[in-house]
Amino acid sequence: MKPSLMKPSLIKPSMALRFAPERSRAEILDDLRRLLPRLENPSGGNCAFSFGLPPLDTHLPKGGLAGGALHEVVPESEGDLPAAFGFAAALLGRMPSDGPMLFVISPSGLADCGHPHGHGLDELGLTPARLILVETEDEVQALWAMEEALRSAVPSAVAGAIGQKLDLKASRRLHLAAGNSGRPLILLSAAAGMGSSAAATRWCVGAAKAARDRFGLPAHWRWHLRLERCRNGRLGEWLVEWDHVAYRFSLAAPMADLAIPRGTSLRLQAPRRLVARAADRS
Amino acid sequence: MLAAEASGGPRISATNEPAEALRISIGDGVSDARAKAQFLQVEAADPKSDAVALEHLALWATRYTPSVAPFDEENGADGFFLDITGVASLFGGEDKLLADLSHRLERFGLSPRLAVADTPGMAWALSRFHPSRRFILPSADVNAPENTRLAVKTLADLPIGALRLAPATRRTLRRLGFKRIGALIDAPRAPFAARFEAELLKRLDQALGHVPEPLVLLAPAPIYRKIIRLIEPVFTQDAILALAKRLMTGLVFSLGHDGVGARQLRLTLYRVDGEVFGLDLGLAMPTRDVEHVARLIALKLERLGSQEAMPSCAKAARSGKGRWFPSATRKAGKALPEAIDAGFGFESVGLEITFAERMDPRQSGLAGFSEDSDRAARCAALIDGLRQRLGPRSVRRLEPFESHLPEKAETSQAEIYRRRTDAPASSTSSLTSSWARPASASLRPPLLLRRAEPAQVLALMPEGAPRRFRWRGETHAVALAQGPERIAAEWWRKREPQPTRDYYLVEDEEGRRFWLFREGLYGRETPSPCWFVHGFFA
Repeated sequence: MKPSLMKPSLIKPSMALRFAPERSRAEILDDLRRLLPRLENPSGGNCAFSFGLPPLDTHLPKGGLAGGALHEVVPESEGDLPAAFGFAAALLGRMPSDGPMLFVISPSGLADCGHPHGHGLDELGLTPARLILVETEDEVQALWAMEEALRSAVPSAVAGAIGQKLDLKASRRLHLAAGNSGRPLILLSAAAGMGSSAAATRWCVGAAKAARDRFGLPAHWRWHLRLERCRNGRLGEWLVEWDHVAYRFSLAAPMADLAIPRGTSLRLQAPRRLVARAADRS
Repeated sequence: MLAAEASGGPRISATNEPAEALRISIGDGVSDARAKAQFLQVEAADPKSDAVALEHLALWATRYTPSVAPFDEENGADGFFLDITGVASLFGGEDKLLADLSHRLERFGLSPRLAVADTPGMAWALSRFHPSRRFILPSADVNAPENTRLAVKTLADLPIGALRLAPATRRTLRRLGFKRIGALIDAPRAPFAARFEAELLKRLDQALGHVPEPLVLLAPAPIYRKIIRLIEPVFTQDAILALAKRLMTGLVFSLGHDGVGARQLRLTLYRVDGEVFGLDLGLAMPTRDVEHVARLIALKLERLGSQEAMPSCAKAARSGKGRWFPSATRKAGKALPEAIDAGFGFESVGLEITFAERMDPRQSGLAGFSEDSDRAARCAALIDGLRQRLGPRSVRRLEPFESHLPEKAETSQAEIYRRRTDAPASSTSSLTSSWARPASASLRPPLLLRRAEPAQVLALMPEGAPRRFRWRGETHAVALAQGPERIAAEWWRKREPQPTRDYYLVEDEEGRRFWLFREGLYGRETPSPCWFVHGFFA
């Protein structure tokens, strides 16, 4: 640790760690979880917005998605882009503060899936009147536009759809811009693939068969969410539903019934029907 | 020497001085002229390029006054009017201005004939037919009424051709024995009005100032305009930005005095050799902020730079080494983008506000300071910045539109802020309510294709739900189809009957949700309905 960071407020808990070896492993981990985000992002950004879904929110380090951070959303496969887009739009729609939101779209950002349709976004809880669409001519301009929007700290949230995979440098830059402004940046990248990234979370979204109502018609959209990356948190996998009447997330019925003790790792055979997997990140 | 095709063979349309010395005049046949001088060089006239060159020159002349009107066809299309009312004193008098103009035009390789007079007609006549190349007719105002007589006398000495008449009228007048304008002025008007068309007397009155002659200006003269003429030309972007800041600072006072802010600006760069570049900026909200305007100009220049460097930029993006915010690492003397070729530098820089809008003063920094309007202003600043860098059509907003057809149910609006309101348009209740659809309305997809794409569909019955469809080379087995939602064509908009559409929400075996429609009612409208994919559900 650099000497400049040796502020008493920051150093105290770690001192406590060092001189209290008798504490349990879980307690130490909890302390570290509280401590690490403050070291990484000392300038605020502590506000988080929740899914409104306790199993997911408690799973995330701050009880929700961090406010001033980069969150990546990637489709599970090429055909899942609309599902990933819908998930990102629903997340944006849950943003509590009201103010304009910026959606930056690069030419290959939404692949060949057309363009955002206001009435459809409305059903995902994202009021189209709050949305300002920015269409750019290439990928670099899209990155610039997102950073510019974050720097101005005007929009309450910024989202982007880009066609390329974000490299470490660019993602770090965007993450820092988001951290400085305290605004979340939700980045949908059409090109899936694991890679190093500075993002706080990465969600891999796949389409799942919609929940049926009693007439056998689709009632709620379902997405298969996989938390691929979570800074200071654990990875997980859920099957969530979107209620486009109440504008809220819920867990798919077979999952909601299962009581899973926190911290245990469940491994089921079929990943699609998997209910939850929560593992400590090692 | 230039020649143009005319009836009876090519005729000469322009000559130079040696040719004039040989008494070859405009309108002669080329063969006649060759008889006079065998070494004649004849080129084809190119009126289109001439018009473009004239417009360029007229643009350049806006460095003297914003009101510049190039000659139209009737005026000969070979010069321009400058409205120098109130401008001459800036140059130290009309004679100094004329001398400067003449000197600069001569440097471009032109041989100008200039005249200053009270009316465009008189100035035109004097510039063509007065023996001296530079002539100033003293102005006839209240203080010097005797100048009116002088003007009439000067005009009277000029030939009939100085009145800008049609060739036929001119010929008739000559046949009748009228050679000088003086003869026309003295003669009784009634016979002329009866014999000739109204044009003759109108031109005469215009020259004498009895009838107004409106000029067709290159661009309407802006109310707020400032121009800096430099002794030493500038080359770099930073110098231009500094000048733009100075210009804007000079304009801000008069803007504030009138309670308006700039909505559209134009930065004009006058290059030493007469080339003129204009940068147009549009703003989302009226502003009087100097720094903001300077930043927008910098972004606009960056856009011009990035457009020409597009291929290399894309390459940089692919390799992941793209720097997308060049201003952070800008050096002191950054060169201008190639789209604006500085050449030997810019000698004048002008800033004009082409559209100003009422801007109410806002209190800031005190207790009554409103958070909302401040936010709106900052948001407008962000949008302005994005627009300058990404292009004017890049930032838009969705607006609902009353239509049953999904692709027409919304429009995209470039205007983010309503005119003359501080609040964003989104906060007005009428707009938010119109997005609302009845709860019973069926679902709409968040992603819609710009054009519906044809799909091959297998259905049990021609009017039944799809069972399997093939689209973009992939076959999808339908697990669930909800529908149809029948959307009939809007007969009140188009006269020709459009086919009815039956929309289905389709989920395939993998859980992906599509929005398909069948165009045309089976049996009633078409024997074989076509299927299309129109959108994607989340």
